[in-house]
Amino acid sequence: MNLSLHPLILLILFPGGFFLLSIGMFYEWIDRKLVARYQNRIGPRWFQPLADTIKLLAKEEIIPNGVHKGLFVSLPVIALSGALTAALYTPLFGFRAAFSFEGDLIVTLYLLSLMTLCISVAGANTISRFTLVGATRGLTQMFSYEAPFMLALLGPAMAAGSWQIGTINQFAGDNLWLIIAQPIGFIVAIIGLLGKLEMQPFDAPEAETEIVAGALTEYSGRGFAIFRIGKDVELVIGLTLVIIFYLGGIANPLEFVLKTLGLILLVAGLQSLFARLRIDQTVGFWWRIGALMGLLQLLAIILGRYLGVIIR
Amino acid sequence: MSETTREKFIVPIGPQHPALKEPGHFEFTVEGEIVTAASIRLGFVHRGIEKACETRNYIQDLYLLERVCGICSHIHATAFASGVEKLAGVEAPPRAQAIRVIVAELERIHSHFLWLGVAAHEGGFDTLFMYSWRDREVVMDLLEFLSGSRVNYSVNIIGGVKIDIDDTMADSIRKGIDFLEERSEYYMKVVTTDDTFVGRTRGIGLMTKEKAELLGSVGPVARASGLRRDIRYENPYSAYREFPIDIKTDEAGDLEARFVVRIKELYESYRLIREILDNLPKSDLAVRVKRRIPEGEVTCRVEAPRGELFYYIKSNGSENPERVKLRTPSLCNWASISDVAVGLKLADMPMLLVGIDPCFSCNDRMVVINKDKISPNLISWDDLRKYGIEYYR
Repeated sequence: MNLSLHPLILLILFPGGFFLLSIGMFYEWIDRKLVARYQNRIGPRWFQPLADTIKLLAKEEIIPNGVHKGLFVSLPVIALSGALTAALYTPLFGFRAAFSFEGDLIVTLYLLSLMTLCISVAGANTISRFTLVGATRGLTQMFSYEAPFMLALLGPAMAAGSWQIGTINQFAGDNLWLIIAQPIGFIVAIIGLLGKLEMQPFDAPEAETEIVAGALTEYSGRGFAIFRIGKDVELVIGLTLVIIFYLGGIANPLEFVLKTLGLILLVAGLQSLFARLRIDQTVGFWWRIGALMGLLQLLAIILGRYLGVIIR
Repeated sequence: MSETTREKFIVPIGPQHPALKEPGHFEFTVEGEIVTAASIRLGFVHRGIEKACETRNYIQDLYLLERVCGICSHIHATAFASGVEKLAGVEAPPRAQAIRVIVAELERIHSHFLWLGVAAHEGGFDTLFMYSWRDREVVMDLLEFLSGSRVNYSVNIIGGVKIDIDDTMADSIRKGIDFLEERSEYYMKVVTTDDTFVGRTRGIGLMTKEKAELLGSVGPVARASGLRRDIRYENPYSAYREFPIDIKTDEAGDLEARFVVRIKELYESYRLIREILDNLPKSDLAVRVKRRIPEGEVTCRVEAPRGELFYYIKSNGSENPERVKLRTPSLCNWASISDVAVGLKLADMPMLLVGIDPCFSCNDRMVVINKDKISPNLISWDDLRKYGIEYYR
């Protein structure tokens, strides 16, 4: 069921690298279009994210006074490379991951967090007050959703008995969808994904009515485009991970498309349902409800295992 | 961090900022996310309308004053027209007064729906924003059907109104407000029960009744603090004398109460419009008024969607007024922001700002920064010019 390709092709053309960038932009469009339709708007045309990217890449990059130039230029690249590296360990579109080893789940998760970290450092790098507030909020939010999100992905890993994404994918494909066995974990994971991607209602770090564009306020041309592409890649990887862990895994490209589309329908719905949470509400939400639910799920799994052993 | 190295961290909002649709400048001193001080600076869109009124005749002024505000345009013209009518010693016919009230209430509906959307957007609830603005189109279309224009209706003339409401118009208004009433009930449910939204509004920006009175709040802001202050109720004018309104207040005084009060006012507007349409008096639409208005001065108060609107008109017996002074409701409510902001979170600021439904261009006044050189009370035109040149040199 896991198809394999030459590693170089996997890396640069398909499904990693170039193809991943395009599909990322396509998923950004789907997300924007769906949110727009939920909100009774028309929404953008299919090539809008691509057009945005081309426009941004063509624009002059303004480096503001008082920043560390090297950091300012390199942070977007680090963020994007972090997201792309994470893609190497993820079995995208049903293809075997380019690299994999026992424990790549942890590496992938941390590579995905690199994006938030880079954005926050980029915000703290400039002297604008909006970016500073955005950076503080971004980091605060990261510390609040990271642990529950991790716990939520740990549940299926424990069920599969492996910390290797490929193995978990195999396990999920062979067994009952884990959403049925671990519904709480699924809810935490999907909301954690919203937090990770700073989507509504967790968009306090970039709340436009308060702090303009948050940490990225000072980014204009190339840097902003690269950050955006990085986020799109992260969206695809995030969706893939949640599907692998909770929605029966991905065996072939068709399954990938169907399942991600179904999931993004849900994600877009959640985005348009709620008002933006204040940052203190976000932290409270994650530690009071999110973390607790994650732990509860973990406890249930451990008890279930014990019971299974006893019955056997 | 020691006290000496500590600097004030000020987050500037405006004059150019995504939260503001009009230019204004706000500085919030924050410590982390907590606001410790707030200051307001206005005056970016001062247009000199009061001065311009003095060089135009009464008819021209009517059109000029209608453009003071892009949202509550009709109420400005109503205030001015009724003031001039009082000076001229005539009264608009009953039917004209009823039509003025119908348009004023439709305008209130349009303004409150607009506010609901903007306030929701500031709180990051774009779905509610899009929905309420879609429904606002219904009342905009009704106003266009009545007057031919969506914003500056230009319904009033001095001595009456220009348009008549016939049966087809009355029917379409009824149909429109039936739909809007249904939607308002839905929005009432959303703003009082949606958990994330209530989390952003309940208990935020609390203003007690005493404080509201002290700060001179007007309109829905005052009514949300339990103050029974509404010109339509306290001092009925025009057709409100025959068709009284029921004042809607809320005791809570927080942002949620401002939502609740405004939506309750929508219900009241629907009821009033239906009642007037059913009992529309039969008479002429206007009386003739001479171009020269007799000498005298008059004050006129009306209830705009945002609160009390005050007009002072002085006539010297010629075709042009000698002085027109207007005070818009937004001006009265600014104090409530700077006072209440301290201690709240930075994230609450946009919603608090919008909570009073501010209209910047309505209330921009000239600011004299007094540097002992100039008396702030009486300035001649030449002095003012010299002062301006000096100031910007």
